[in-house]
Amino acid sequence: MVAVKEKLAPFHILVLIYMTQTGVVILSLGQMLAQTFGINGWLALPFYGVIVTANLLLIGLVYRMGRGKSIFDIMERRLPLLLLSPLYLLLTMVWSMLACLVSMEYVLIFQMIAFPTTNPVWFKIVIDLLAYSLFIKGIYTISKASTVFFYLTVWMYLFSSMLFHEYSWNRLTPFFFQEGDFALPGMSGIYAAFLGYELVMLLFGYVDRSAKLMKLAIWANLLVFVSYIYVSMLVFGFFGFGELREMQYPLIDMFAYVKFPFIERIENLLYGLLLFTMLATMAMYYWSANEASGRLFPKLKPSYRGIALIAGTFFVGLIPDTLAEVNEWLTWFGIVEIGIAFGLPLFLIALLLIRKEKEAPVHA
Amino acid sequence: MDHRQQQLSHILRQFDDCADFTHKAFPELHADLLYFDHMVDSQKLYREVTAPILSASESELQNALDRLSGARMEADRDIVVAILSGSVALIYREQAYVIDMYNPKGRSISQSESETTITGPHDAFSEPVGDTLSLIRRRIKSSHLKCVRMKVGEISKTDVFLLYVADIVNMHYVDELSRRIRGIEIDAVHDTNMLVQLIDDRPSSIFPQFFTTERPDAIASKLAAGRVVGIMDGSPSAFSAPTSFFEFFTSSDDYYQRWSLGTATRALRFFSFAVTILFTCFYVSVTTFHYEMIPQNLLLTLSESRSRVPFPPVYEALLMELVIELLREAGARLPTKIGQTIGIVGGIVIGQAAVQAGFTSNILIIVVASSAISSFVMPSYIMSASIRLIRFGLIILAGIWGNLGITVGVAYLIIHLCHLTSLGSSYMTPVAPHKPGDWADVFIRAPFKLLKTRPSQAKSPNPARMKMKK
Repeated sequence: MVAVKEKLAPFHILVLIYMTQTGVVILSLGQMLAQTFGINGWLALPFYGVIVTANLLLIGLVYRMGRGKSIFDIMERRLPLLLLSPLYLLLTMVWSMLACLVSMEYVLIFQMIAFPTTNPVWFKIVIDLLAYSLFIKGIYTISKASTVFFYLTVWMYLFSSMLFHEYSWNRLTPFFFQEGDFALPGMSGIYAAFLGYELVMLLFGYVDRSAKLMKLAIWANLLVFVSYIYVSMLVFGFFGFGELREMQYPLIDMFAYVKFPFIERIENLLYGLLLFTMLATMAMYYWSANEASGRLFPKLKPSYRGIALIAGTFFVGLIPDTLAEVNEWLTWFGIVEIGIAFGLPLFLIALLLIRKEKEAPVHA
Repeated sequence: MDHRQQQLSHILRQFDDCADFTHKAFPELHADLLYFDHMVDSQKLYREVTAPILSASESELQNALDRLSGARMEADRDIVVAILSGSVALIYREQAYVIDMYNPKGRSISQSESETTITGPHDAFSEPVGDTLSLIRRRIKSSHLKCVRMKVGEISKTDVFLLYVADIVNMHYVDELSRRIRGIEIDAVHDTNMLVQLIDDRPSSIFPQFFTTERPDAIASKLAAGRVVGIMDGSPSAFSAPTSFFEFFTSSDDYYQRWSLGTATRALRFFSFAVTILFTCFYVSVTTFHYEMIPQNLLLTLSESRSRVPFPPVYEALLMELVIELLREAGARLPTKIGQTIGIVGGIVIGQAAVQAGFTSNILIIVVASSAISSFVMPSYIMSASIRLIRFGLIILAGIWGNLGITVGVAYLIIHLCHLTSLGSSYMTPVAPHKPGDWADVFIRAPFKLLKTRPSQAKSPNPARMKMKK
C-alpha cells in the first residue's frame, strides 16, 4: 500500500463536527423547546449557541497552549498513567455509552413508527455492526464517509420549503418563554442536541495546525445552530405552541405533509436518512472511546478493543427497554458529557499551566 | 561434441515436441535458424536473414552477420526466451545471434464493441501489444511519453508495459505500480482485467480499482491527465491509475460534444446510477412496508396490478431481476442474430406472459426494465456489472426492513467506498477528499476554458493543462 499520508482537510473537519453534532434529537427538538421554554422557546437556542461557543473557545485555549498536541499526550507527560486510568475509563465508558444510547434511541423511534412488531435488538445489532465497520477504519474514513452522508442528507432542508405555505407567523405569538417548565433535564436535553463538538479535542493530533481547527469547529457549531433555529422556527410556526407541546416528534409529523405526484409522506425517507447523521455521531463517539481505551490497553489491537466496546455497550444498552428509559439514560449521560466538555479542557489547562508545552508538535 | 553442437542440441531439447517450432539447418555454412514460423514476419525473415546468408559465400558470411540488426547472445536461456518472444535465433559456428522478427498475425484494428461512441474516434485497441503501443504513440507524439517493459507470469511471460508522460505524472505512482506488477507471482495472466485484480489495493472489493478501457483516445487523455497507463500483450484493454469511483461515469463522448450536452449526459448517468440501485428496492420497500408513501391515485393502480400476484414483493422483484440477468447473460454470449431473438423472447413472451399468468405485476415490469436499462447507461461494463450485483443485496435488505434496510445497505456501501483506495489515493475523490476544483470535470463537463488543471488525484507536479486566456 502506498503511504500517501492523508490529512483532515478543513472542509472535512467542518462537516465532521457538524455531522457529529446533528442527530436524532433534531426530531424532538421543537417539542423539547416548547416544553422547557414555553412559547417561542426557540429563542433560547442563541443562549445555547453562545455557551457552546464559549466551551469551544476553552478547548481552543487547550489547543493553543498544548501546541496542537494530542490531549492524551498532554496528560501523560504530566501525570502517571496509573492516575489517569480512572479518567480514561470514565471517558471510554461515557463516550461508548453515548454512542450506544444514541443508536438505541434511533432504533426505538424507528421501531415505534415503522416496525412495531419487530424486536428492536435486531436493528440494534445491524446498526452496531455498521458503526463498527465505520469507526474501526479510523478518523480519515469516518470524515470521508461523513462528508458523503452530509451530501445525502442536506437536501432534506430543501424539502422543508414545500411546507412554507402552511407556515403562519401568527402561531409564533408575541409572547416569549411563557408556560415553560424550565426543568433541568429538559435544558440539558436541549444542550445534548449540540453535543459532539467536544470531540474536537480528540482531533488535535490528526489535523495540520494550518487547518485552523478551532475556527472550523466554531463555524460547524454555527451551522448546527442555524439549522436548529431554522427547524425549530419552522415547527413553531407550523404547529403552534399548544400542539407542539403535545407532540413527540414534530419534525416527523411536519414532513408527513410533504407531497409529490409520485410519492408522499416523505417522513419515511427522513428517518431513513437520519441513520446517516446518527451513524456519523455514533462512529465518532465509538472512535473517541476506542482512542481513550487505547491508552489503557495499548497492546490490544484497536479492532479487538472496538469489538469489546460494541459488545459491552450492546448488552448494557439492552437494560433500558422503553424509549422513555433510553431518554432518561441519555439525559444522565448527557449531563456527564457536558461535565466532560467543560471539565476536561479546564483540567488540561490546569496541567498546561503547571508545565508549559515547549516542543513543536510532531505532526506540524 | 563442440560448443556449437552442445548449444544447439540444448536449445532444440527445450523445444522437443513443439510441432510448430521451425529449425532450418545450413550445414554447408555451419549455420542454423531457429524460430516459430507463426510469430515472425516471414517476408522480413527472408529479406533480412535467409537471403543474405544464402547469397553470401562462407568468407563473406561473417560480414553479413555483423550487418544484421540483431544482438549477440551467449546464454542458452536468453536465446530460448527470445525465440519464445518472436525472435529468430541464428547460430553460426560458436556465435548466436537473436534478431527480433516478431509480427504475429492478429486481429486488425477495429471498432470497440463494448465501448462504442457516436462522435469521436472509432478505433480500438486490439490484442497485439505493438498495435496498442502504436495507437497510443500516434496520439501522443512526445519523447516524454515513457514506456517501461515488464514480464508477468512464470509460464506465460506476458509483456506488460507501463506508460506515463514524464514531468506530468507523479513518479510515486509509477514506482508503486511497477513494484506491484513485479511482485506478481502467478503462472499466467491472460487479460488486463485479470492483471489489475492482482494489483488491486483491495482485491476483495466488488468495485474495480483501475479504470480499464479499449479506447486509445481515452488512454491518451488519461496520460495527458497525469495518470499511469498499463497495457498487456494479448489483451485489447488498457488500464489507467489512480482512478476514482466517479471516473467510471465519464466517457470520451462527453468531450466531443458541446459542453452542455456532455453535462446533461453525465447528469443522466448519475441519475441512472440511482435508478439502477434504488428503483427496484424502493418498489419492494414501499409495497411491503410503506404503502402510505404512495399517493392515493397511484395506490389504486398499484394494488390492482399486484392483486393477482401470489408472492411478497421481494420474491416477485428478485424473480424478475433474475430473469433480466439471465436474458442479459444469454444475449451477451450468443451471436448477434440469436441475441436479438432472445431479446424478443424475453421482452414479449416472458414480460407479457408473466403478468398475464399472475406471476408479477405490470408496474414491477416497468420498474425492473427501467433499472436494467439504466444499468447499461454506465459507460464502464465492469462498473455496471458491479452495481447490478449490489442491487440484489439492496432488494433483499428492502424486503427485510423496508426503507431502513435500503439506508443500511447504502450506508455500508458508502463506508466501503470511502475506505477504498486506488494506488493509495482515495476512491471517492473529489467528494472525499473534498476537491471542488475537480467537480467541473466530474459532475459536469464544463467548457474547456474552465478545465485548466489536471485532476487533483493525479497529484501531478505540473498541474496546469491549459494556458489559453480566452
